[in-house]
Amino acid sequence: MRYFVSRVMFFVLTLWAAVTLNFIIPRLQPGDPAQTMVQRLAGQSEAIDPAAIRAVQIMLGLPTGSIFEQYVDYLQAVVRGDFGISYTYFPYTVTHMIAEALPWTIVLVGVTHVLGFVIGTLLGAAAAWKRNGKFDTVVSLGSTFIGTLPFFWIALILIYVLAFTLRWFPEAGGYSGEIDPAWSWAFFGDAIYHGILPALSLLITAPIGWIMGMRNNMVHTLGEDYTRLALAKGLRQRRVALTYSARVAILPNVTGFALGLGTILGGTVMVEMIFGYPGMGKLMFDAISNRDYPLMQTIFLFTTIGVLLANLCADILYGVLDPRVRREAQT
Amino acid sequence: MTERASLEPGAVSPEGAGSPLLSVENLSVSYAATRAVRDVSFQLHDGEFVGLLGESGSGKTTLGNALLRLLPPPGRISEGRVMWWGSARTGEAREGPEPHRAGRDLTTIGQEDLRRLRWREMSTVFQSSMNSLNPVLTIETQFRDVIEEHTAMRGAPARQRIGQLLEMVMLDPSYMRFYPHELSGGMKQRVALALALALRPRFVLLDEPTTGLDVIVQRSILDNVRALQREQGFAVLLISHDLGTVMEVSDRVMVMYAGKIVEDQRASTMIAEPMHPYTRGLLGAYADPRAREVEIAYIPGRPPDLSRPGQRGCLFAPRCQEAIDVCRAEEPVLSAMGQGEAACHVAEAAYAAGDGRRDQSARAGEVFTAPAGRTDRGPRVERRQEVLAVAGVHKRYRSRRGLKVTEVDAVQDVSFVLRAGTVTALVGQSGSGKTTLARMVTGVERPDTGSVTFGELRVDRLRGRGLKAYRRHVQLVFQDPFAALNPAHTIGYTLSRPLINHQDVTGAALRPAIEELLERVGLSPASTYIEKYPHQLSGGQQQRVVVARALAPDPEIIVADEPISMLDVSIRAEILELLDTLVRERGIAMLYITHDLLSARVLADEVLVLHNGKLVESGATLEVIRGARDAYTRQLLDAIPNPFATRRG
Amino acid sequence: MSTPIGQVAKPIDSEPAPGDVAAAVRRSRLPSWVVILWANRKSRIGLIMLGLFIFVAVFAPLLATHDPKVTDFAQSLPPGGAHPLGTTASGQDILSQLVYGARTSIVVGLVAGTVVTFIALLVGLTAGYLQGWVDEVLSFLINLALVVPVLPLMITIAAYSPVRGLFLIIFVISITGWAWGARVKRAQILTLRSRDYITAARFAGEGRLRIIFAEIMPNMMSLVVAGFLGAAAGAIGAEAGLEFLGLGDPTTVSWGTMLYWANNSGAMLTGQWIWLGAPGLAIALLLSSLTLINFGVDALSNPHLRER
Repeated sequence: MRYFVSRVMFFVLTLWAAVTLNFIIPRLQPGDPAQTMVQRLAGQSEAIDPAAIRAVQIMLGLPTGSIFEQYVDYLQAVVRGDFGISYTYFPYTVTHMIAEALPWTIVLVGVTHVLGFVIGTLLGAAAAWKRNGKFDTVVSLGSTFIGTLPFFWIALILIYVLAFTLRWFPEAGGYSGEIDPAWSWAFFGDAIYHGILPALSLLITAPIGWIMGMRNNMVHTLGEDYTRLALAKGLRQRRVALTYSARVAILPNVTGFALGLGTILGGTVMVEMIFGYPGMGKLMFDAISNRDYPLMQTIFLFTTIGVLLANLCADILYGVLDPRVRREAQT
Repeated sequence: MTERASLEPGAVSPEGAGSPLLSVENLSVSYAATRAVRDVSFQLHDGEFVGLLGESGSGKTTLGNALLRLLPPPGRISEGRVMWWGSARTGEAREGPEPHRAGRDLTTIGQEDLRRLRWREMSTVFQSSMNSLNPVLTIETQFRDVIEEHTAMRGAPARQRIGQLLEMVMLDPSYMRFYPHELSGGMKQRVALALALALRPRFVLLDEPTTGLDVIVQRSILDNVRALQREQGFAVLLISHDLGTVMEVSDRVMVMYAGKIVEDQRASTMIAEPMHPYTRGLLGAYADPRAREVEIAYIPGRPPDLSRPGQRGCLFAPRCQEAIDVCRAEEPVLSAMGQGEAACHVAEAAYAAGDGRRDQSARAGEVFTAPAGRTDRGPRVERRQEVLAVAGVHKRYRSRRGLKVTEVDAVQDVSFVLRAGTVTALVGQSGSGKTTLARMVTGVERPDTGSVTFGELRVDRLRGRGLKAYRRHVQLVFQDPFAALNPAHTIGYTLSRPLINHQDVTGAALRPAIEELLERVGLSPASTYIEKYPHQLSGGQQQRVVVARALAPDPEIIVADEPISMLDVSIRAEILELLDTLVRERGIAMLYITHDLLSARVLADEVLVLHNGKLVESGATLEVIRGARDAYTRQLLDAIPNPFATRRG
Repeated sequence: MSTPIGQVAKPIDSEPAPGDVAAAVRRSRLPSWVVILWANRKSRIGLIMLGLFIFVAVFAPLLATHDPKVTDFAQSLPPGGAHPLGTTASGQDILSQLVYGARTSIVVGLVAGTVVTFIALLVGLTAGYLQGWVDEVLSFLINLALVVPVLPLMITIAAYSPVRGLFLIIFVISITGWAWGARVKRAQILTLRSRDYITAARFAGEGRLRIIFAEIMPNMMSLVVAGFLGAAAGAIGAEAGLEFLGLGDPTTVSWGTMLYWANNSGAMLTGQWIWLGAPGLAIALLLSSLTLINFGVDALSNPHLRER
């Protein structure tokens, strides 16, 4: 119990820290982004929505008022879920834009991250089980090289070969223009068809970390006395490999799951941008290009909260999987 | 089940009485370039309790792993066979074909055949109880998987059987719901033992089953094993470095040195008439601490490096005081002599000449004697100068777990004095408060009440600079010499630091000072050691370096925490002798912390027995050990394996 | 961008340590770390590869046939002739850009790797050695920095900056990439500081700084070097990523900006797969060399591994 309480505490603390970080970053910059932004808003459009200005000020700093007042305003806005109006996508609210983009990214990242984890862990376990064999050598050396390929470069090459040259897949977008986004099979099929290349770009390197982690852990657990005792017990190889070596070796990978999410999110930003995929990454890229700071910051906040939530889930799962942390004091 | 194996040539059942259960034929095992086991042959019979005695690096654990075909890579069996003559027996735990008395070579048998043989016929208890249970499965699951794999038992009957097994090793059945980390070391080892006996095997391999446990727990587990073995009749091969244990519980003992079995005979006759000089040396390193006169010996030198090719002759010859020319030219083979077998030219020649019982009173190796009362350290103990006084110290530890606060009285009202030129032994089990007391003496820990005084200095009130200055007066010798030496530094560097910091020795004076220290602890010629790194030295040499470092500031007090417990038996007396010499010659007050009453008997003038933080008995060594009054002290003494007891009375 | 900064996936090396490396170390006049790394086959390959990259970076002006920024040539030339890899859409020589790009990557790797290692070491050492509340606070900071997604954080910080360029990128990478290294180093210190030889050093009269730097640090060398290699690799990848996103200065010559321009000026439409492929491959090879070197690093602070 103590373990779970401490994990929830950590979540709450990090959540607060992330929200605060989000408040601090714009205020650390030289110059006054709020001022520039407000001026730009004022100069550009015929009717400035006061709500938009207010949003900018909450996120980036009021021209007046102490830093403490700004902080309180900001916290209140965050609690209300009021992130103002997007400057780029006027008159939509930031929340609206994010709500539009979020499902795309959740599906893309969720599928690739889980698949990457499963594939990587399985390959790593197989390599460890046949360690120093041909399979292990190929997997280990292959991972060493493939793991160094940049996400975005893989995406570019995939587009070039599979979409541009071979024309097997669409080059960009999340769905075809002629199909309306709706809850229909046609739309889903189309979305999946469009999602294959972005997912593949992430999936080529996503398993690498898990392969290496699992292989190393399992080479270690295979040498442990409990694995050797399981063999001495005359258990079937499969059971020894799964319930003894792999079962213990997977634990560090579970803790790494949430941290890996941060990495793959980074990749998603670029992959979505390259494919023009209508998710959070593309939204963030558009926000940067248009210097739409409120939108950018809210996206950053949402991504961070997402990773924190995933981290909490991984911690809880870890507590379920490893009896040692459940009853002992926290590590 | 046995078709494949029974077709092999030579796999014919040996007929008649005395047919073995397991026979090892010319077995060799190598790890890369190292030949860890060399041409070993022996037999094991039904219901026999055989001990395999050897020091670290002798190849005993490798041999055990090879028998079960559990060698970790890159280890491999390079030659020989391991024949299993066991067959199915009638009994509730085994079904299968009718008994065959046909042997199967375990080194070549197919994986699936081997798997079916495992645990039903042969099981094992590994060295480290800490790691031999899967940390993420409950005890019950770890019993259940093996029971369900090999028998038809399921569900409630299986659970009942697990309960019985746990009771058999004196554990409550409710422990089956626990995870390994929730059990103590001793409990885990009991679980491992119950697990090994789960399917009523015919052969159990015990690899150092009690190493690392407290003496009293060790004793209780071993008694348990021996009783179960008598009752159930399985054969045991007990691998251990602990001569006392092996000699006491085994029917027959095999002694291993440098990858070979050098002697094999019944325990009772081995004690009276060891044939191989190495066995004699090992026996010499052991004694009954309660005897009137105790002398223990050590074998100078170190075991050979088996990775070096081209070594000729008997590999023990360089350490052997009886070695003759032929020993250096030709390696002896294990052959029948006396009442057993030995691999020794000298013994062979002696038996051929009808003089098998060589002068057994002449100990092999160098002898270190502890006379009935020590008179060689100057005046009577009480008249020696008092160096440090511990008076009425008390220490309570609080540990918080959630809202629950547990308080442990680590040390309660303990008083004693350390005197110049005197060794005071602090004896007790782990958790008795020995370490806390030692930390108080060194100033690292402060007592809650009471005082520690060094001359005029209140050690318990020292802070910062004062504490640092005090350290030149009190130095430490550690349990594990390898862990006590920084692997990144040479011996010369390590020794130079206390000389520079405490003695202001610098520049050109440094090297002679280091050399003098090394010579003083018997590392000679010193110049060959200065540039070496710790891993290039043997355990005994490392411990000498640790002692040399402790001597560097010319301290008044040395706290030695189990300084010999990690060392090989054959060299322990060597370090004890060194400590004794230093105490005598330099008038050092030594606090000798140990759980081993034999070494306390040999080295100490006074003994303090600590139990649950309280001093239960103290006094002159001889009086405490030979005339123990306290029940706990007697329990400790009784726990010591004593193979000599039955013979010497 | 495939590995978080400071975390290089490193398989356990199954290759047996060759002969008596310690003897080779004694014989050789080279620094001992070179000899130790050289003894491992994979490390050796990595060192050779890295050596080539450094050679190219240092002698870029001699090796490059053209000024990488000059736009005088015909646009979008296919490979061949005076331009072995062709020219860009704005008429620059691709090979020369590739050669000069090595400079940027090496500099970023070296500088950001050093800064990240330094911060990680400082935080890890302080937390691990001092313990108590200092450790509690620093550990929280480490864990926080670990869970915050690095690239979005980098993007957010970089987006605010009024100036764009290599310095900004190095700065952003440095302040976001230290957490993993700090965590590993803290854990290592925690185990090292409770070793008997540290107690022994205290009784030999050593002071706190000397214990940290003379007793603990030598035993952390492999960790520090591995951390540096990981941080350098992460920085090189991150730099390319940020520049590809247009968060760098698009006029610098680097592999990241090459990809940025290749993507934005339709290298695909013109079929210039080399313009697109070469910079990515160069990044991958440079990062591979660092990963390969990492295979032999364990032997650095473990004299025992050198023999055997």
